[in-house]
Amino acid sequence: MVDLFKVMKALNNQINFFKLEVTPTLSDSLNIAVIIKLEPDFSEGNVSYNPDGTLNRAETKNTLGPHSGIAAHAAFFGRVMYDAKVFILTMGPPIADLALQQAQQISDAEELHLYSDRLFAGADTLGTAEVLRVGIEKIQQKMDIVFSGHRASDGETGQTGPQTAWKLGFTFLGNVISYSVDLETRTIRAKRLISLQGSPNVVEEVEAPLPVFISIDPTYKSNYNAVSQRLAFEKYQKEAIQRAQNFKDYLKVFNAKELGVDETLVGLPGSPTIVYKVERVPKSTATRRAEVIDGTDPEQIRKVVTKMKEALSAMVIK
Amino acid sequence: MEKYDVAVIGGGSAGLAALKQLSNLGKQAILIEAGSKIGSKNLSGGILYSKKPKKGQVTNVEQVYENFLDDAPLERKITKYILHSTSKDKVYSMDLTAAHDYQANFGYSVLMNKLNSWFAKQAQESAEKLGGGIIPGVHVKSISWNEQTGTTIIQTDELDEFEVKAVIAADGVNSEIAEMVGARKKFTTEQLYQGVKVIVKLPEEIIDERFGISSDEGAAHLFAGDITLNHIGGGFLYTNRDTLSVGAVYHLDSLIRNPAEPYTLIDTLLKNPMVSEFIKDKVPIRPDIDKNLSQEEKLRIRFGVAKLIKTWYEIREANFSSSGRARLIESGKYKDAEEIQSTLLSIQETMSDKFGVTFGTDYLEDEYGAKLVPDGKRCRVKKPFFKNILFVGDAAGRGVFLGPRIEGINVGIDDGVRAANAVARALDKNDFSNSLGEFYSKSVEHSPYTVDMKQIDKDYLKIFLDAAKDVPTDIIGARYGTILKMMSSDTFRGIAVKFANIIGYDKLIPMIESEETYVKVPTILAEKLGKSISASYLPTIPPIADRIANLNYNDDNLAHIKVLNSSSEFMKKMVILCPSKCYSEEDGKVIIQHEGCIDCGTCSQETEWHHPRGEKGIHYKYG
Repeated sequence: MVDLFKVMKALNNQINFFKLEVTPTLSDSLNIAVIIKLEPDFSEGNVSYNPDGTLNRAETKNTLGPHSGIAAHAAFFGRVMYDAKVFILTMGPPIADLALQQAQQISDAEELHLYSDRLFAGADTLGTAEVLRVGIEKIQQKMDIVFSGHRASDGETGQTGPQTAWKLGFTFLGNVISYSVDLETRTIRAKRLISLQGSPNVVEEVEAPLPVFISIDPTYKSNYNAVSQRLAFEKYQKEAIQRAQNFKDYLKVFNAKELGVDETLVGLPGSPTIVYKVERVPKSTATRRAEVIDGTDPEQIRKVVTKMKEALSAMVIK
Repeated sequence: MEKYDVAVIGGGSAGLAALKQLSNLGKQAILIEAGSKIGSKNLSGGILYSKKPKKGQVTNVEQVYENFLDDAPLERKITKYILHSTSKDKVYSMDLTAAHDYQANFGYSVLMNKLNSWFAKQAQESAEKLGGGIIPGVHVKSISWNEQTGTTIIQTDELDEFEVKAVIAADGVNSEIAEMVGARKKFTTEQLYQGVKVIVKLPEEIIDERFGISSDEGAAHLFAGDITLNHIGGGFLYTNRDTLSVGAVYHLDSLIRNPAEPYTLIDTLLKNPMVSEFIKDKVPIRPDIDKNLSQEEKLRIRFGVAKLIKTWYEIREANFSSSGRARLIESGKYKDAEEIQSTLLSIQETMSDKFGVTFGTDYLEDEYGAKLVPDGKRCRVKKPFFKNILFVGDAAGRGVFLGPRIEGINVGIDDGVRAANAVARALDKNDFSNSLGEFYSKSVEHSPYTVDMKQIDKDYLKIFLDAAKDVPTDIIGARYGTILKMMSSDTFRGIAVKFANIIGYDKLIPMIESEETYVKVPTILAEKLGKSISASYLPTIPPIADRIANLNYNDDNLAHIKVLNSSSEFMKKMVILCPSKCYSEEDGKVIIQHEGCIDCGTCSQETEWHHPRGEKGIHYKYG
């Protein structure tokens, strides 16, 4: 595997060497796109359910999906470390501009693209991926990295990212927990968290030529360890807050026609998925009995303490 | 290793002034701050002065930040300065506004969190242009020198190590840098005050009316006498825009001799009728919930009441302030002031009719905090540098405490500027040898603030004695003897002051800063000449546990304080003197629970004491 990479890299370098005359320098800039999603806000007090247990979408507030937020953080890392230009893209209703704004505040994006059209309604992951592919390819600058979240909090299939990567023809790297880019050789090194049932987690380090599509792991965290990185972090964070305050200045909305999509590949016609049946997850039966204690009553508290002491004494501390 | 010209350590007023001044001079500098946000660990009384000394020059805050007076988040310009002597319900008041105005351009009440954030914004903007800036959430762990180049290597808990040519240490009264490099020993209890402060909420227009001030004026009230519980120091109450700062500041050695809990000292002040009448407000009283109701019903009522009370406070606060009303009307929620008023009344009605909430008189405390304050007379560091490290403000033990004259922030800012000037000069000459520190040291030594820390100013003394002219001379004479008696006479003052300065400030201080001055004389004054003040209610003072629970912490599971000798007399006193009650005694051994620590440093004398790691520890809302 490693050898193959070496060969590819060598080949790549050779090609670059020969090309050098024609294209004097490879740009040392980095373009990053993030595909995000507006999702129901499942935080306490913001979510509302119908009597049958399904989500009441009209009553539930919306927000930037938590995994989309992590992807935006990963893009901001590129902004801080490599002075990258960040684009945030989403397909959704006009109110999805809220998610774009929130993602801009995290990533200091320079452009926000909203793909919004009634034709896009009813899309499954494949229909969505098509819109995103066309959107990414429509951007004049060539994308080097496209980030997506691990999955959405409402659909949870985790397919939109990989399908967009496939449509774009980009190398796909899943479960990425950290990355670094070599701007000279135009390669990326990424750490991937591999969790297999029944065996301990493994961190795999891979190298790939740009462009790549990265689906970011939920445990991803940006680290800025050098003074210069922290200074850049503070600077871009300030810029991000200012930009997000005037996010409309950075927002571009495209309908199907403006985007130039093939109408048979998007929305309902472009979505082969058929939802056959939705089942409620059965409530698990409790194995422990809970008792409610009134915290204002000293007698009750005493009871709790006694129980805790009993439990502690029953524990064997090794 | 990354290299920078200058590192400023500590983002308080002094450090930020140093960064701003360096940037103003076109020099690149970075500032490292341990708090997660600038200002989050800062606490002050506090009044920020701008001074115009008779002799010598200082750099004032408005010279460092040119838009200071138009834009900075200042509370109120203090226009009234009054000293109260207390004995039980009797109070004798002396107007010291002339002492407050002495050599001053202005003095504003300030809240440190807000103000330092503003300073940081200005300093960051200037520093950024030169490749510098502010890095919060980083705690310096060690300092060493590159033997070949003489540059300083800074190691932190959070970042890769980096190298600088010069350091300005502005890491406060408990300066770890000073201790780390051996520039000075920890300050002793004789050299420090312990200050405890609470923020009391009070709507803006109620403050205007109660203190007899207009919306752009402010009042400062100082307290001495029996409220001190026989300690050397006193209490203060400053008006902010829509809060009051109420504090008690006592010499730490006096507290060690005769231990009293810091919260007991502040509670004594709050309970004094003079203070309790100042801080009182209308407060909603929650009804008792019928215990026989179902659990859900009880919760429903509790949440309903809590939500209404919150809304009531918000609208009421806005309603009692012209800017608040304007804000509500601008938001489009309300047509005019009348509608705000009627909404407030209807909420009040719902509260009492539907939930049985009643209204009474009490006060509302919003933040409790404590800090050590260096007494410049006793602990100003005579050599405020070590190699290429310059110490400024609290870190160099510089605070002006002369009777009712209390200054610290302005001294730190002036120091910061002096240090920045010295470093800029060294950068130009590329000379970071001892001449850098010596240049700075000389500049500081000539600072009018240093002069004030060294000798008596007879003009200032005259103002003070004039204010006390109604005090029968027999009280002063009987207590202080010839020198002070002479000082209160116009003819002999000059000679007396000269004589006093010959004896030396050091010997005179214990005589002036004594129980006589802070406790006995004021108590006698209040008893003999004071007016009785009656209290209209008894304030419900939150217990210390509630005060601590109300504070915002980012817990560090690693303890930043280690007890060295768990059975020493000093540590046993900490059980009483720790403002956040971190110490307790079990079987004759003192143990610490660091989680509630507010980084004041009271216990640092006999502990292995560090600031918490970056972003950890206390995060003040007001400061």
